[in-house]
Amino acid sequence: MEQIYTLQTHSSEIQLALAAVLLPFAAFIINFLLPKTVLNKGEGLFSTVCILFSLICSCLLFAKVWARKPIHEQVLWFQIGTIKIYAGLLLNNLSVLMLPLVSGIALAVHIYSVAYMHDDLMFRRYFRYLSFFCFAMMALVVSDNLLLMYAFWELVGFASYLLIGFWFTREKAVQANKKAFIMNRIGDIGFLIGIMILFAHFHTFDLITLFNYPTNFSSSGNLSGTWLIVAGICFFLGATAKSAQFPLHTWLPDAMEGPTSVSALIHAATMVAAGVFLLARVYPVFNPDVKLIITIVGTFTAFMAATIALTQNDLKKILAYSTISQLGFMVAAMGIGAYASSLFHLATHAFFKCLLFLSAGVIIHEMQHIKEKLHLDIDPQNILYMGGLRKVLPITFITCIIAALALIGFPLTSGYLSKDGILIQAFEWAEGRSFLYQLIPIFILITSWLTAFYISRLLFKVFWGESRLKEMIPTFEYHPSKENKLFTWPMLFLSVFCLFPFFSLNPLLYEHAWLFRGFLAADYFERENIYHTIIPAAVNLITVPVVYLAYARYINQNIKWFPESGFLFRLSYNHWYIDQFYQNYIAKSVVWTGRKIYAFDLFVIDGLVNLIAKVGLIISQISNWLDKYIIDGAVNFIAFRIRDIGSFARGFQTGKVQQYLLTMLIFILSIYIFKILI
Amino acid sequence: MDHLLTLLIFTPLLFGIVLLLLPVSLRNSFKYLALAATIVQLVLSGWLYFHFQTGASFSGINHAEQYQFAEKLSWISLSLGSMGKMQIDYFVGVDGLSIGLLFMSSLVMVVAVLASWEIKTNLKGFFALFLLLDMAVIGVFCALDFFLFYIFYELMLLPLYFLIGMWGGVRREYAAIKFFLYTLFGSVFMLLVMIGLYFSVTDPATGNHTFNIIHMMNPANYVQGSIFSTAHQTLFGFPARSLAFVVLFIAFAIKVPVVPLHTWLPDAHVEAPTAVSIILAGVLLKVGGYGILRVCFSIFPEVATAGAFWLGLLGVISILYGALNALAQTDLKRLIAYSSVSHMGFVLLGIASQTTEGISGAVMQMLSHGFLSAMLFFLVGIIYVRVHDRYIYNFRGLAKLMPAFTVFVMIAFFASLGLPGFSAFIAEAFSLIGAFTSASVNGLLPAWMAVCGSIGILLSAAYFLWTLQRMFFGETRLSGGENWRAALTDLNFREKSALIPLALMALIMGILPSLVFDKINDSVLALVHLFR
Repeated sequence: MEQIYTLQTHSSEIQLALAAVLLPFAAFIINFLLPKTVLNKGEGLFSTVCILFSLICSCLLFAKVWARKPIHEQVLWFQIGTIKIYAGLLLNNLSVLMLPLVSGIALAVHIYSVAYMHDDLMFRRYFRYLSFFCFAMMALVVSDNLLLMYAFWELVGFASYLLIGFWFTREKAVQANKKAFIMNRIGDIGFLIGIMILFAHFHTFDLITLFNYPTNFSSSGNLSGTWLIVAGICFFLGATAKSAQFPLHTWLPDAMEGPTSVSALIHAATMVAAGVFLLARVYPVFNPDVKLIITIVGTFTAFMAATIALTQNDLKKILAYSTISQLGFMVAAMGIGAYASSLFHLATHAFFKCLLFLSAGVIIHEMQHIKEKLHLDIDPQNILYMGGLRKVLPITFITCIIAALALIGFPLTSGYLSKDGILIQAFEWAEGRSFLYQLIPIFILITSWLTAFYISRLLFKVFWGESRLKEMIPTFEYHPSKENKLFTWPMLFLSVFCLFPFFSLNPLLYEHAWLFRGFLAADYFERENIYHTIIPAAVNLITVPVVYLAYARYINQNIKWFPESGFLFRLSYNHWYIDQFYQNYIAKSVVWTGRKIYAFDLFVIDGLVNLIAKVGLIISQISNWLDKYIIDGAVNFIAFRIRDIGSFARGFQTGKVQQYLLTMLIFILSIYIFKILI
Repeated sequence: MDHLLTLLIFTPLLFGIVLLLLPVSLRNSFKYLALAATIVQLVLSGWLYFHFQTGASFSGINHAEQYQFAEKLSWISLSLGSMGKMQIDYFVGVDGLSIGLLFMSSLVMVVAVLASWEIKTNLKGFFALFLLLDMAVIGVFCALDFFLFYIFYELMLLPLYFLIGMWGGVRREYAAIKFFLYTLFGSVFMLLVMIGLYFSVTDPATGNHTFNIIHMMNPANYVQGSIFSTAHQTLFGFPARSLAFVVLFIAFAIKVPVVPLHTWLPDAHVEAPTAVSIILAGVLLKVGGYGILRVCFSIFPEVATAGAFWLGLLGVISILYGALNALAQTDLKRLIAYSSVSHMGFVLLGIASQTTEGISGAVMQMLSHGFLSAMLFFLVGIIYVRVHDRYIYNFRGLAKLMPAFTVFVMIAFFASLGLPGFSAFIAEAFSLIGAFTSASVNGLLPAWMAVCGSIGILLSAAYFLWTLQRMFFGETRLSGGENWRAALTDLNFREKSALIPLALMALIMGILPSLVFDKINDSVLALVHLFR
């Protein structure tokens, strides 16, 4: 095996990275191979221990690599023709940040899952899939070349497919995982074409060679303008699918059919952020035109998803649309060049959104419990049946509040630091440009208020007031139940990371956050302008009345705004009709094309073949006829005539002497007459 | 040691003769005898594969001395007086293009025998024909003399005709005749080109006309003014060499199959018994791809370059057309048959690009598809044997009933739709990358072809996942009711031992593609060199 860099210099880092990535894989393999009787529900523990050690390795690695020179190691994977394809690790700030982020959240989810999935018949399989996902995700973030990235990119999608459809007997779940995989495949094709464009021009997949971090790639000038734009759009298409951006976002709400713990890990915190990660990894490829597209798509997605979240009643769907919206923030931030803020928001969002989902899991668990006990026919995820849950689930209540405040971007939370960074930079980006550009920060701002509203609505409906079940069963009372420690510990662990101190000692200035500073380009200089003061103030000054409005609307019910009818409500409630459009027009037309082409195949192409066969058959029949009646007929004619002549001649052979004499006489006479006549 | 290839080719024939001599009372031993034959062959080809040397001096293609395990015997030597001497050799040898196919075919043959357990009637006839087919297939991949190649090529048809026509499904006679005539149509014209080539090429050593394929690759060996000499001769108003290329290409394209010459395939695959479907999809289609590389492209490289655009176009059409057809199928076996059309389109697209990436990807795709299509047809056969139905809508929720079976179906489906970690990913990715880079390397294929080809990857996800969702997931509901539920038992030992090697091969080739690429690289480079 060939090595480019000497292994000795960075051996400990490389070993740590390999250990971090391969430990979950080992858990997957061992859980897969060991028979049921040996492990006896120990799979959960085993996977959890592996991810714990993986987290430890990731943290050690982080300490060694963060804010230092990137490490790149590779070995020859295979050679095709004369081109050598390497496989390797690229450890820079981005990858060593993602490693502990993924393994840390995964650890929380693993612990939570041990309790959450305890009674499931497919417990074993669940942890296999989960470990496999962790492996693929962590391998994705440390991969050093585009081909490997693509491979793990698809593998995380595959793990997501397996886990969305985990309860494979549920029709909705298996429809959802099919949809998720196919929509992601659309993005994958974009990604693949992007890779092909870069490979065709640079003959390598290697990220370092391609982009020569950290200097700019477009300065190498090998790629003509059009191809550069196409490549950028292609890579962005990949990110669009994975990070559920418009127009490829519709798979994510459906993906909520999987276990809630899976939604927390994969469809909120880690995998869906892979799209943003990809944007960051290939950032130099995007030229200003593509970046503008990215900004518009991100902003629109953020706004659209937030408006949908306003009216949904399914607890997990609200959170799913919230995730789409927040991912829109990150994508838009990438577009406006707020690279550091985007990644900062990726990290903070991972914690608070995961926490929200885990809390939702506890709530759903509780509602399911009530449903089964009272034999009710209710959807345990529907927030219209909830209310007053703060009394029974106090810890969940607190964690939910913390996470929601972080989502809103309330001061003292992590979300405040990361989101305001994006907002401020959006205003700075639009400054001095035309009015249309101003729309971007304005929509981001509006979206952040919408965020405050929908998450407040959720909290008020779930935790405040009295249970709506009382309207159905007047005697209904919650029975105080003890919250499982395997639920609450991971949640409390995550809520620590939703607060400011972990990210910045100064709770108000995002520029001071270590994570933000870790991603700044060397030539960055801080601009102190008016936005840095007025925007956080404006956001929060208006957020407070927005939250109050939600309270007034849903708890006191003393205002009757936002009637649940009308066009805007229906638009939001039906997810802007995008899903219906895809289902009714695009999916159907593809199937229709398939059917028509099959009919063409059957009747035209195969018909032609059969026609040729038939023509052949007819020709052969004609020739058969000719053969029988003309050619053979001629032969037979001759034969028969000869036979007739023979028969005629035979008529003379009678054996009577008198007749012979007569014949002889006639013959001689005939010759005689013949002679005379001539 | 010197006669390994001969041994490899004729082992099945030997076993077949023994089988014919055995009395019918030993009929239960026939399948074991056939299994033994294929396993001996597998061991031999495995030995060959691992002892196959690599390096620039072993690249083969147009250098006879670089072929490995080569054997050359004078076979027919006839003095024709003033016309010189007719020279037909028994000439076999392998290079990078054929070594992988030999191993793949040997493994698929073992699996095919394991799939033949379902055959209950006329066992002696079945296995005798099977072994004859086995010999012919291996012979095609080894033959370096066109006459020998043609004999093996035609010899494949005979047993296949009977295997489909006698042991097939309801419409077996139609399918068998269609298959036979369709393929024969292609090869008859191939015979004419072969004779034309014979009279155009002389052996530089003896000066006699020759059928040696390797001599045909060297322009210096063509007789001045002969019909296929590189000077521009015409035939019926067309350039002779182009016409010959087209004729040969059609013959092989029928085998691949390339749309629109594919309609024999769904019928033959669907009507054939499982074992024969496995051989058809796993091995026979590769004879087409191999023939295009070994014969069409190597003998007429300049025509291949001139017509690359059209070949690439046919490749793209096959990919999309096959995939869209698969989307409309309700019979599982027919769906897989059309998916074969789509996946073999990648082979043609990769070959047409004439880049190292593209051709390597195409060869990889042939191997990968060999294993995966064998696996897919084997899996369909498992259901069909149990309930004699394979209509997709008649099944639902098989995962609960047959969990191990479903695991293999998922492996086969996801591997086929190009999930990284399996061979088809590397194969399809590099076929497409080759097609895409062609625009900047040799300017043969426009970039949109690769882009359209990649849509085939999307469609393959659509039809495979739809099938999974519709047939395997959800609550178990079977149109055959309780009878089916009892009949649909999970995999037994024999079935697992056939499926596991195939799945492992697809996995190993996907993770360590160097196992394949290291063997083929030199030959692919030599082949690409031929085009310049």
